[in-house]
Amino acid sequence: MTEQEISTKEKQPVQGQEKTRAGRFFLPEVDIEELSDSLKLWADMPGVKQSDVEVTLDGGILTIVGTVSTGAYQKLAPLYTEYNVGNYFRQFELNEDIDDQRIKASMRDGVLELTLPKSERARPRRIEVNAR
Amino acid sequence: MALLRYSPDSDPVTNLLTLQSDLERFLRNPAYQLGVSGFGGFPPVNIFDTGDGVAVIAEIPGIEPKSISVSGQGHTLTIKGERRRETSTEASGYHRRERSFGEFSRSLQLPEQLDLDKAAATYDAGMLTVKVPKAEAAKPRQIAVQPA
Repeated sequence: MTEQEISTKEKQPVQGQEKTRAGRFFLPEVDIEELSDSLKLWADMPGVKQSDVEVTLDGGILTIVGTVSTGAYQKLAPLYTEYNVGNYFRQFELNEDIDDQRIKASMRDGVLELTLPKSERARPRRIEVNAR
Repeated sequence: MALLRYSPDSDPVTNLLTLQSDLERFLRNPAYQLGVSGFGGFPPVNIFDTGDGVAVIAEIPGIEPKSISVSGQGHTLTIKGERRRETSTEASGYHRRERSFGEFSRSLQLPEQLDLDKAAATYDAGMLTVKVPKAEAAKPRQIAVQPA
């Protein structure tokens, strides 16, 4: 076997409470980075178009839902399959105080990019130490 | 794989199915992967019959369409590229790092009756679709019946 940097992980179905919305849901793979003034999140949701992604922040719970349209598959007969096609769903409880008015989200090539700016209160600040 | 004592009471069909699933699990085990094109290679592919050919659909999110190379040689279709991490300038820490990045190359052997010269590829929303039509010679044709 030759060396290969990327391998494919099997998609994990969403466990837990049942959704009212029908269809299979999988967990998108995410990266979350912490910056001094914000959090950055990327989620891989191949097959999800910009119009089919929904991001909500409610009571400190960040919810990401991506819907995949399966219409294009209707006329196709599968010969060989390695991955499942389904919607994406993931929730995070945010510990940080996020300024929900300034959240930015963009979708490109099946990757959701979220910028979650910390609210003024949550930002680290330097406290001047004065001489007495 | 555990060795099980043969018991003549058990159903032979169930035995066969168990053997089959054991073999499949064995083949899908990354430690015994049969080259880069086996199950578990990147990108994962689904192959469909479109009626007039096949469609190979691969999940490759977050990549510049320019940096994907799709090539055909003989009956082998090769998908190559590199997935780069978004540049972050001053991250002070990571909370999750689940996505994978790096170079990939995957070759698939297609049936002989397909015409790779006429293949067309599109990339949309992180999905690469390569449509390969059937070769002219493999298409069904009507043979006229002449009166003798």
